[in-house]
Order: sequence, then structure tokens, then C-alpha cells
Amino acid sequence: MEATKVIDSRGSACPGPITDLIKAYRNSKVGDILELWATDLGVKADTDAWAKKTGNEILEVREDPDKIVVKIKINKR
Amino acid sequence: MKRVLIIGSGDAGVILANHLDTREFDVTIVDKSELHYYQPWFLYVAFKGSRRKIWKPNADLLKPGITFVQDEIREVNLDQKKAYGTRRLIYEYDYVVIATGTSPDPDSIPGLRAIYDEYGDYHSSFKNSHKLWTHIKNFKGGTIAIGQASPTCKCPPSLLEGAFQLEEYLNKKGLKSRSKIKFFTPYPRPYPAEPMNRVVEPLVRGRGIEVIPFFDVDNVDVEHKTINSLEGDSITYDLPIIVPPCKGTRMKIVPEDLQDEDRFIKVDNRRATIKGYSDAYAIGDCNTIPTSKTGVTAHLEAMAVAHQLNGEYGEFNGRINCPFDTAYGKATFVIADFENPTVPYPPTRLKHMMKMSMARIYWMTLKGRADIIFDKYFDWTNPAKLNKKYAPLYPEQQAT
Repeated sequence: MEATKVIDSRGSACPGPITDLIKAYRNSKVGDILELWATDLGVKADTDAWAKKTGNEILEVREDPDKIVVKIKINKR
Repeated sequence: MKRVLIIGSGDAGVILANHLDTREFDVTIVDKSELHYYQPWFLYVAFKGSRRKIWKPNADLLKPGITFVQDEIREVNLDQKKAYGTRRLIYEYDYVVIATGTSPDPDSIPGLRAIYDEYGDYHSSFKNSHKLWTHIKNFKGGTIAIGQASPTCKCPPSLLEGAFQLEEYLNKKGLKSRSKIKFFTPYPRPYPAEPMNRVVEPLVRGRGIEVIPFFDVDNVDVEHKTINSLEGDSITYDLPIIVPPCKGTRMKIVPEDLQDEDRFIKVDNRRATIKGYSDAYAIGDCNTIPTSKTGVTAHLEAMAVAHQLNGEYGEFNGRINCPFDTAYGKATFVIADFENPTVPYPPTRLKHMMKMSMARIYWMTLKGRADIIFDKYFDWTNPAKLNKKYAPLYPEQQAT
């Protein structure tokens, strides 16, 4: 599925890539696909916990050579 | 002589101005305010009623040969190389550096404006910090809800610093048994960067501060004294301490596609050049560099641009070094860079003394008189080096 918005959070250690995801969530609508790029390893556990809490869905977690890509489908706003 | 126009005389703008060679450059720095505040001290104004003088006139902070103009820039046109002020009409430049910081935006969340006007906070201004202190010193017991309204916020440690200061205050005043501190955060844990959270979460729990994670403020119901989150949770308060969301620059920038949806300016993360321009920069809190919005990054980005303009090598490496007061006379620092994760760095009394002395050293820093100390310090506290020492002391916890 094609991403509606790519969020490039590479290099962010503090407060971390979850910041950019939460910001994008506020501006998103149901059906959007957010693609988060990060280098911080904590991104996997954090997006997982975030998706569980907010009722959104992780479609894919992929490790590229230069980044971790997490694709999220917005089911709830 | 090349003309350099710096918009904003916070620490980024002033440090840059003072590091440019005035024999080579005609430097003008413009700010709407006459005074420069040492913002980290707002915390002690709000929670301790500190009366320290934490401001100086902008004009006194600059080296001779630099022109300070008190004016508000309305618009910068990067293609025409011109800026438009409200007092002096047009500023022409060869290089422009935008360093306007952030602006609080309490109107973007329903109900927050009323809280902001009545209670203040400990981030947005000296006046607001003083306003909050008048409420804290008159507090007699009940529930205090404290936290950030949105993840777009300055200085990540300051949120917990507020909760820690509050707990120490209530404890010392004998009000703790009659009070409850509820710390809300949009993050999954009390401190956003996980390695540092391993250090501070035990302190938060040990002091009886209740944490409400994944709480991104959707609205405040002033009538029912309730804060509601986007995630569907609610907190009822007697005293609300809500740090408002931050937005980027208020100025109009032409062309208009150079800012994100919150008006932060898109730049190259290492050179701070505005995307598509080699003669325009944005430094400090007003840009989109993915680090904390904090004084030290503003300082280091200013140095990177000063080096570039002076014809030397100059890149920002993402270094953060945020002092973090954990109360009861101890503090730590949040240290990381683009390549290295945050260090789990334990609080000590020495680090607290360092944080306190920064209030004095700060004014020297602006003039470049503390550069040698900082260079040594940054080398000594390199995050790769510190992680080797401290990461094994705070092993990663298994997710439950």
C-alpha cells in the first residue's frame, strides 16, 4: 500500500521518532498510511505500544541498510 | 563587505553574531524584544519563586561592530534576498539566518487558552512562570495535573523537571499527604528517550508521582476541570499545569513551501541551510532538525553556521546536552548525537552544581568567552564514550 505521508525521523535520539509519529497522528485522518523512517532502534517497541494504545495498525516493519521503516494504517482518530 | 542579517536574538542568533568576523561581514541582528532571558531558569521562577535577575538587554550582549535593531520582521523573501520589518521597511542581505525560536500556541487546543491565561506555565515566558508560582505558593492540597499538551515542545527534560520540583516543594511544605501529582505525557513512558528513562523512572515512581502515558491533549473542559486526550483518557485536576504546544516562526517566508505544517523551517540537518538555498539558514528551535529543541543545539548550530560563513568546516553533529534537575540537589544531563543513542547518565550533586553555574556562565557563552571550556567538555562527555561506561549499568528492560 502506498504511504499517504512519509515521516523522516532519522537521527532523532531524544525525544525520539515517536515524537514525529504522534505529531503526524494529530494531523492525520482515518485511512491514511503513515510511513515512519528512523534510525533509533527503540522505534519498533514504541510504535507497537503506541498502535495498541491508539487502536491503529502496524502494516509493516522493515529494516533497510540505512533505516528502519514502520508503516502504520490509521484506523482511529 | 557581505551583509549578514540575523533574525532573532535568542542564544542562537547572539552566538552566531558574536562569532562572525566583523572585518569581513556587516552584521545586523533584529529582534522584536529589547531583552534576552535565560530561559532554563523559568523552572525556578515557577516552582521556587526565584527572584534572580535572568535578563539582559540584547544590545549589551553583542560585540562592538554589530548592529542591533529592535523591530519585528514580518516577511523574508529568499528569492529577492530581502526582509520586511514593521519599523524599518526593508532589510537587504547577502546571507540571512533565521533564529526566531518557537512561539507558544495555546489556541490550537480547545479550552487551553483559559488555562494559559489564568495559571501560566513554566516554559513560555518569565511572566507566565511568575503567574504559575502565585498558584503554587497558594496551593493547599488536591490533584495537580502536570505535563505537555503536545509532543511539539521545547526541552524534553523540563517536563519531568517540573514534576520533580513540584514534589520536592509539596514534600518540604508538608502538603504531600494532601496532594496527588499526575504527570501526563504523549510518550510511552515518563522520559521519552528510553535509555534515560531507565535512570529516572525509578525516581518518578519512588516519589509517588503518578504517570499517565500516551496522553496527547485533545481538549480541556474548564467547567468540569478535566483534561481529555486524543487517545480517549481523562484527568480531573484541582491545579492544571499545562505546557502549551509550540509552533515555528510567525514570520511569513517566501517561497511558502519551506515550512512544515507547524511552521518549522525545513533545513539540511547538518549544515542548517534552508532547503534549496546556500545563502539562507535557520538555526535553533525554529528549524526541523530532529533533535530536542534546546539551548545547546541552538548554540552548536550557530557555531556550525559561523564556521561555514567564516569559510571553515562547519557541521552540526546532532549533539544534545540537556541539563536535567532531578530535585533534592541532584541533576543529570541528557546526552546523545545523530550517531549515538541517549546515555543512561545517573544524577549526581556535581552535575547539579554544573547546571546551577550555567546560569552565570551562560552570559559568557553568548560572547564566545567560554568556547574553550565547552570544546573540552563536549569532548570529555562524548556520548559514544559515556555509553560504553554507563549503558552496562542500566541494562535494557524486557518489554512486558
